[in-house]
Amino acid sequence: MSTHSTELTVGRPRRGTIGTIFESLASLAERRRLVWYLTMSEIRNKGANSVLGNVWWFLDPALQLFVYFLLVSVIFQQAQPAILLFLGSAILPWKWFSAALASATTSVRGREQVMRQIAFPHIVLPASSVFASVANFAFALVPLGALYLLYPDRLTPWALAVLPVAAVQFLWTVPVVIMLSAVAVFFRDVSNFIPHGLRIWFYLSPALFPLEKLQALGDQYPWFGFFVTINPFTWLFSGYRDALYYGRSPQWEVLGILALASIPATLLSVYLFRRVSPLFVKVL
Amino acid sequence: MAQRRSTRAKAVPPPIQLTGLGVQYDLRLSKKRKLRDTVLRDGRHSQSGKFWALRDVDFRVETGESVAVIGPNGAGKSTMLQVLAGILEPSVGKVEVRGKIATLLQLGAGFDPELNARENTLLVGEFLGIPHKEMVRRVPAILEFAGLGEFADAEVRTYSSGMRARLGFSVATSVEPDVLLLDEVLSTGDAAFIEKSRGRITELMKRARAIVFVTHDLDSAAAICTRAIELEGGRIVADGPAKRVIAAYKKKMAKRATTASRPDLAARRGS
Repeated sequence: MSTHSTELTVGRPRRGTIGTIFESLASLAERRRLVWYLTMSEIRNKGANSVLGNVWWFLDPALQLFVYFLLVSVIFQQAQPAILLFLGSAILPWKWFSAALASATTSVRGREQVMRQIAFPHIVLPASSVFASVANFAFALVPLGALYLLYPDRLTPWALAVLPVAAVQFLWTVPVVIMLSAVAVFFRDVSNFIPHGLRIWFYLSPALFPLEKLQALGDQYPWFGFFVTINPFTWLFSGYRDALYYGRSPQWEVLGILALASIPATLLSVYLFRRVSPLFVKVL
Repeated sequence: MAQRRSTRAKAVPPPIQLTGLGVQYDLRLSKKRKLRDTVLRDGRHSQSGKFWALRDVDFRVETGESVAVIGPNGAGKSTMLQVLAGILEPSVGKVEVRGKIATLLQLGAGFDPELNARENTLLVGEFLGIPHKEMVRRVPAILEFAGLGEFADAEVRTYSSGMRARLGFSVATSVEPDVLLLDEVLSTGDAAFIEKSRGRITELMKRARAIVFVTHDLDSAAAICTRAIELEGGRIVADGPAKRVIAAYKKKMAKRATTASRPDLAARRGS
């Protein structure tokens, strides 16, 4: 009898706001191995069942870059030196973000079965989607790096600053994916809307054209100028471009503010996720 | 003497205690036709589209008890098991389950088809929250019990449904639980495996402090369990020694079946 545990396993009392957040973060730390397994499984399943398999990790960003190159350089005849590097330094980080959002819409919904059978902290599901999405960017760095073979004079030590900029993007991916994964459980239409919403967001960010163009528009329409200022991707793309394209220091203050602002957003998303997660099993 | 018992009861709280428990579904959130159909049939839904799957449930399982949960389809049996397992949180009231839990609901949940048996065992172990080292130690015994032969190294997607269920059963029963929750899983795989799994379940039942067994198989429930509760419309309508409750339930069902097959009687009863 002494081997039996009488510890309360189901029915721990609900905690306050801070307790809820703390409990979720603690459960993530405790289940880090599960997060790792799910991350690897998501990454692996992407390459599975195709002829080229894992080659797609490199081919996908390379092809996308080529498509935008055709659009901007050949069709619109936009004059921009080292155009491939100019585009790549924005398109490839964006691809990471959009892949993260796409997997967020299914990360909770797609695990319906196991959620009905086993009690586990659901937060591990969006968390693993966030980590799996990083693979997108990590692999895209290979074709991006290869572009320096075309423009060797653009390569400076500042290129390493791409890592802190990517870290800031990562910090923002976390709350967005957590929120979206929960919303997608209740509104399946979200996954229909996301691609369109993303596309609009992309065109309103300085990805295919320099920031100055958007800012000129902003001078004309103040509300648009406001949007440009609060859009995190305005500053992220500028950061990537400073590091990779212009070979100069990114604006650290702006990135620092962006990084700090992600903290309350993350805590809020973790709290809201935990509060709605009891409904998941009932709705799915 | 009485005093001594009460202090002991305080020192060791009951393994399972439900107090004023209710589980409510909001049908506006879920667009699944199936659930809605079930609900419209038995009229537990209100105007607002809310529906109580369990209502006012007070239920306490003492150490050493094994409880059969019986009742018609849609009575709330599976919901109760999900609440006890911590999968569903109650909308009102309190649930307290103490000690390690093993749930045998559907088998094979959480498997990743691209992984092999060993990797899936570890994956499901993580879902269950079993410490990694302990799980690694258990893997050989789990694979051995599942009897997969050379398929142990193959991806689970190549498995037959029987093999998948066998592996699921082996993983789910590898924990030594204090509280065992069963949902009619005794019929897994071929005859030989059913025999083997019965043995394993009996073994687990011997060691567990409390067992809750949801079933339609009334005879085996009467044989295995010490106590039975009958659910209907989300409420407990009978609670007592297994043999008595099950006999009464059988009688009731038989009566209902005759009334249903005799529309004239049903009409008279209704009026």
